[in-house]
Amino acid sequence: MVMDTNRSSGASSFLSDLPSRGLFSSTVVSSNPGGMRVYVCDHETMPPEGQHIKTNQQNILIRALTLGLKKQKCDSSSKDGTEGSRKRASDKGLDGRASAKRANNQINSLQEGSTSQTFNKDFHRLTVERLRNLLKSKGLSTKGKKEELIARLKDATDS
Amino acid sequence: MSIWNYVVTAHKPTNVTHSCVGNFTSPQDLNLIIAKCTRVEIHLLTPQGLQPMLDVPIYGRIATLELFRSHGEAQDFLFIATERYKFCVLQWDSETSELVTRAMGDVSDRIGRATDNGQIGIIDPDCRLIGLHLYDGLFKVIPFDNRGQLKEAFNIRLEELQVLDIKFLYGCSKPTIVVLYQDNKDARHAKTYEVSLKDKDFVEGPWSQNNLDNGADLLIPVPPPLCGVLIIGEETIVYCSANAFKAIPIRPSITKAYGRVDPDGSRYLLGDHTGLLSLLVITHEKEKVTGLKIEPLGETSIASTISYLDNAFVYIGSSYGDSQLIKLNQQPDAKGSYVEVLERYVNLGPIVDFCVVDLERQGQGQVVTCSGAYKDGSLRVVRNGIGINEQASVELQGIKGMWSLRSSTDDLFDTFLVVSFISETRILAMNLEDELEETEIEGFCSQVQSLSCHDAVHNQLVQVTSSSVRLVSSTTRELRNEWHAPSGYSINVATANATQVLLATGGGHLVYLEIGDGILQEIKHAQLEYEISCLDINPIGENPNHSNLAAVGMWTDISVRIFSLPDLNLITKEPLGGEIIPRSVLLCAFEGISYLLCALGDGHLLNFLLNTSTGELTDRKKVSLGTQPITLRTFSSKNTTHVFAASDRPTVIYSSNKKLLYSNVNLKEVSHMCPFNSAAFPDSLAIAKEGELTIGTIDDIQKLHIRSIPLGEHARRICHQEQSRTFAICSLKYNPSAEEPETHFVRLLDDQTFEFISTYPLDTYEYGCFIISCSFSDDSNVYYCVGTAYVLPEENEPSKGRILVFAVEDGKLQLIAEKETKGAVYCLNAFNGKLLAAINQKIQLYKWVLRDDGTHELQSECGHHGHILALYVQTRGDFIVVGDLMKSISLLIYKHEEGAIEERARDYNANWMSAVEILDDDIYLGAENSFNLFTVRKNSEGATDEERGRLEVVGEYHLGEFINRFRHGSLVMRLPDSEVGQIPTVIFGTINGVIGVIASLPHDQYVFLEKLQSSLRKVIKGVGGLSHEQWRSFSNDKKTVEARNFLDGDLIESFLDLNRNKMDEVSQAVGVSVEELCKRVEELTRLH
Repeated sequence: MVMDTNRSSGASSFLSDLPSRGLFSSTVVSSNPGGMRVYVCDHETMPPEGQHIKTNQQNILIRALTLGLKKQKCDSSSKDGTEGSRKRASDKGLDGRASAKRANNQINSLQEGSTSQTFNKDFHRLTVERLRNLLKSKGLSTKGKKEELIARLKDATDS
Repeated sequence: MSIWNYVVTAHKPTNVTHSCVGNFTSPQDLNLIIAKCTRVEIHLLTPQGLQPMLDVPIYGRIATLELFRSHGEAQDFLFIATERYKFCVLQWDSETSELVTRAMGDVSDRIGRATDNGQIGIIDPDCRLIGLHLYDGLFKVIPFDNRGQLKEAFNIRLEELQVLDIKFLYGCSKPTIVVLYQDNKDARHAKTYEVSLKDKDFVEGPWSQNNLDNGADLLIPVPPPLCGVLIIGEETIVYCSANAFKAIPIRPSITKAYGRVDPDGSRYLLGDHTGLLSLLVITHEKEKVTGLKIEPLGETSIASTISYLDNAFVYIGSSYGDSQLIKLNQQPDAKGSYVEVLERYVNLGPIVDFCVVDLERQGQGQVVTCSGAYKDGSLRVVRNGIGINEQASVELQGIKGMWSLRSSTDDLFDTFLVVSFISETRILAMNLEDELEETEIEGFCSQVQSLSCHDAVHNQLVQVTSSSVRLVSSTTRELRNEWHAPSGYSINVATANATQVLLATGGGHLVYLEIGDGILQEIKHAQLEYEISCLDINPIGENPNHSNLAAVGMWTDISVRIFSLPDLNLITKEPLGGEIIPRSVLLCAFEGISYLLCALGDGHLLNFLLNTSTGELTDRKKVSLGTQPITLRTFSSKNTTHVFAASDRPTVIYSSNKKLLYSNVNLKEVSHMCPFNSAAFPDSLAIAKEGELTIGTIDDIQKLHIRSIPLGEHARRICHQEQSRTFAICSLKYNPSAEEPETHFVRLLDDQTFEFISTYPLDTYEYGCFIISCSFSDDSNVYYCVGTAYVLPEENEPSKGRILVFAVEDGKLQLIAEKETKGAVYCLNAFNGKLLAAINQKIQLYKWVLRDDGTHELQSECGHHGHILALYVQTRGDFIVVGDLMKSISLLIYKHEEGAIEERARDYNANWMSAVEILDDDIYLGAENSFNLFTVRKNSEGATDEERGRLEVVGEYHLGEFINRFRHGSLVMRLPDSEVGQIPTVIFGTINGVIGVIASLPHDQYVFLEKLQSSLRKVIKGVGGLSHEQWRSFSNDKKTVEARNFLDGDLIESFLDLNRNKMDEVSQAVGVSVEELCKRVEELTRLH
C-alpha cells in the first residue's frame, strides 16, 4: 500500500509542468468527426523543375571504385589536371570540320615539342574521324581501321 | 452481376498508422497530421480543442510520414513515402489553401529484396538528408542542397541485413544514423554510422552497443542538449550515447508507439501492446544523464502512434481500437489512472469478418462487423441513412397536410399539431399528462381541408382553407379577422409565415396578404398566365418573420418564378424543362448560402443557388430522390436547419462544407412531415406515413451511423440466424497473465441487445475458424455450424480440427453433433442440403444422416484434393469456387450422380488470396494479399479442354486495401423502380476499417463512366504529383498491369466536389451537360 502511494506520487511529480502553448486551454469541445472537408486537388501537382527526384542508377560497387579512383587521382598532383585540360581543349577543336585546320596546327605544334611516343599515345586518343581529317590534310589515304590510320599517320610524321 | 465493376468507399479507412505535430498550415498554426493508410488528415490545435481542417486522399498506401523544417523556412513541410516506392514533399500554401508539391520522385530500385520489418523513412534533424531503408542491405539517401532543394538520390550499402529500426542522432556535426539490427545468431545490437555525402558512403560512427535486450525493437533519438538514443526493449530500456550508458529493467511489455513530451526530450510517453500508457523520464544534471525512470499512467486503446499535443492533451492513434484524445491528469483518479479519455474517434479496423442483416426489417441492409483486436475488439453496427426514433404513433388515414403551432408567439415549444384531411381539419395538442389528444381551436374552420397554417405575430394563428384566410388569436382562440376569396374562385395553394400570406386561386391569380394585429390586409394581386402549382415565402433574409422574395411553381410552361414582395414583380423566370410539373418549392439557406429547391412530381429535385438581392438563380443541379411527388419542409436539429423531402424515399437535405448532401431516412414512405418541438418531445418531427402519424426524434445528420458494442475480446467470425434472432461469433480472449494466454469461444448474442446469452468454450489450443447458420435436407431445424482447428505449438499446420453443430434451444447453444477432421476447418458452406467444408488442402462434403437412435451425425460423402490450403470457399448451385492460399481461384463442380467433386477450371496465376466471391454463374471476384482485386471468367464456350479449364482474368484493379471478406448485399434501401435499385452490389470489409461497395454496372453506363473517369484524371490531380493511373494499376510481386474493368468510384464521385469551372471543363470533355453529369454521379452516390 505504501509502495502504491509512493508510486502514484512519483508519476504525479513527473506529470507536472507539461509543455503548454495555450492550446487546449478553454473547455474542449467535441470536434465533429463527419464534418471534415475532403480535399479535391484540381491544380497542377508536378514538382518544380529539378525536384523530380530519381535514384542514381550507378552500381554501388562501381561508384565506390570510381570514387576511389578519383581520390587517387586527386592525390597524384597536377599532372592529371593538365592532361584533363588538354583533352578538353582538343575536344573543343573537334566540334566541326571548319575548325579542323586549327586543330591540325595544334597537333603539328604538339609534334614539334614531343617525342614520338607521346605522338603515338596522342593519336590513340583521337577519334577515327579526327585521324581521317589529319590524313586527308597530309594527302594520305583515309581508309582502314583505327590502328591502320594511326600507323599511317605515324609513318608520315616519323619520315 | 457483370465484369464491369464500380468500386467505391462507403466508410473511409479509420486505422491510424502515423501522426505528427508541427507548424504545417502556417508558422503560427500548430497542426496534428494523421495518416490513415491512404488518407492524410490535417487538424488544427486551438484553445477549444482539435479542429478538423482537411481530409486529403493520397494515391498510395502511406509507409512513412514525417514533418520537417527546411533551412530558412518558417513552417514545416510534410514528407510522405508510399509502399509502392513513391515519395513526395508537400507544402501548405496558406494563400490559396492548397497543398503544393515541393518535390516528388520514385525511390524504387530494380533489384532489391523488400524489408521484412516495413519501410523506414527518416529525416536528419539538421535537414541535410532524407534517409530511407526500403530494401535489405541498402540505405537510400536523398540529400538536400543548402537552399533546401532535394538532389539526386543514391544508395549506400548497409551491412546489417535484419534491420529493426534506424534513426538519426541529434547534435552531430555530420549526419549520423543509429541502426538497431539482429545478427544471424538472433542477437540484437546497435551501431552508428556517419553518412558522408561527398563519398556517398558510410563512415564508422562514434559508438556502437552490442548484445542488447533480445526484444529491443524501437529507437528513440534524444534531442539536444542530452543527445544520444533510447533503445526500448521488452525487458529493459537503455539510454546510449558516445559517453554514457544507462539501463533500467521494465515490466515485460512490447512497446508499440512513443511520443515525445518535452522539446528537450526529457520525457516520453510509451504505449505498449496491452494498451498501457507509461511515462519514461530521463533524469539528468544539466547535460549529463543520470538515470531513467518509468511510471505507468493508465490504459488507452492499443496505440500505433502517440502525439503529445499541448497542455497535457495527447492524441492516441490506434490500429486495433478507437483512436483517442486523452488528458494526462497530475492526480490519479479513483482507479489510480492518470489518463482521462476525452474523446474517441471511431475505428472499424481491422474488420476481420462481417455480415449483412436487416434487423429492423425495413428492407435496409446493415453491416455488423467484427472490428478491432485484442482487448479493443468489438462489434460495430453500421447503417446508412438517418434513423427516426419513434416516440409515439397513432393510426390516422388520409393525412393531407400537417403544421405545428405555438400557443403564443413567445412560446419556445409547439403546442398544437394541425392535421388536415380531405374534408376536415383536426387539431391535436399535448395535454397536461404529456399525451397527445384532440382539441379545438374555435376560430379555425374544422369542416374543410386546411391548405396552410402558421404562427403569426401578435399571438395569432393563420389558417388558410379553400375559401378563406382566417386570423385567430392564439390566446382566446377566437377569430380576429378573415379574408375571403373572391366569389367563384377557390384557393388552390397557399403558404404563410409570421407576417405574410401568399395564396393562389384558380385562373392564375396570385394574392399577397400581410398580417397585422387583428388585421389581414390584401396588399397586392397579380394575374399570371397559367395555373400555379406551388408557392413558398420561407423567410431567408435578415428578418426571420418576413420574406422579400416569393417562389412560385407553374403548371403548363413548367417553370419556377421568383417574385419580389410586397409588390409581386416578376424577377426571375426559370424554365425547368421536361413535362413534369413542380410540386413543391422551398426557399432555404444553409451555411449562409441561399438556395431555391424545387421538387418535381416524378421524384426529382432541382436546386439552384439564389441571389437574395437580385433574385437570380444559378448553378442548377438535378438529383433523383425517389419516384413519387416530393413535399419539402424545413426542420431544425441541434440548432441547424435541414430540409426534409417527404416522398416514397424520404430524404434529409443538409449542407456540409458548403455542399448540399442528401441522406436517406430509414422510413419506407412519408407523405408529410412537420417539425413538432413540444415540451414533452423536444426537437421531434411529426411524420405521416402509411396510415399512421408518428412522432419521433431524428438521429444525427450524417450518412453512416455506427453503433459500437465493445466485447473486451477479439471477435473473428460472425453470422446471423434469422430464425432464432441471434448472432453467433467465434472469439478469443487474451489473458497474458494466465498459463494459457488465449481462450477461444463460440458465443451466442441477442440480435437486438447484443448481449452474450450463451457461450460454448472451445478446447485448449482449439481455435474457432468459421461459423455459418444452415439447415440440412430432411431436417427442418436451423443450426449453427462451427469449424475449428487445434493449433498446437509444435505443429506448423494444424492436423486436427472439429466441425460442431449447434442448435439454439431456449436461447442456449446446444451441441447436437460433432465431427473430427484431419486439419483446420477454414471454411464452411451450406451446399445442396449438405455441409461443404474446406479442411487444409481438401474440400470435403458431409451429409446429415439420421441415426437409428433419432440423433443426427455428419457423414463424409466425397472430397477433392489439390490445393495448398483451401482458405475461402463460395458456392452457387453445384459450383464451388475455392480461393487458395497461393494458387488463386479454382472452380469445382459437384456431380450428383457420381457423388464426386471435380475440378472444372482454374486461374493459373499465383495469387495469394484473401477473399473470394461469386458475382454470377460465370464471373468470380477475388482479393489478394498485395491489396489487389481481380475478376475471372469461366470459359464454358472454349473450343478445347485446355481453354475450358482456364479461368480467364477479365478485370484487374489495385484497391490499396486488404480485404478480409466479401458479402452480397447493400447498405442502402433498394427501391425496385429506381435505376440504382437494379444494380447488384457486393460489400467488402478491410484491415483499415474500410467498408466498400462493388457494383456491377450495365455496359453502357460503364463506358460512360470510364470516359468520365479519364476526363476527371486530367482535372483532379494526385496530391504530391502521384498518378491515379499508376495507383490503380494491378500490382504484385509478379506483375504490374493497368487497371481494367474496374472504375474508381471515389474519383468519379469527387466530381460533385469540384467547382463550377472545373465541372464545365469535365462536361466539355465528356460531352454531357453538367446538370446531367451531376444527376448521374449523384445517383451513384446512392449505392452507398
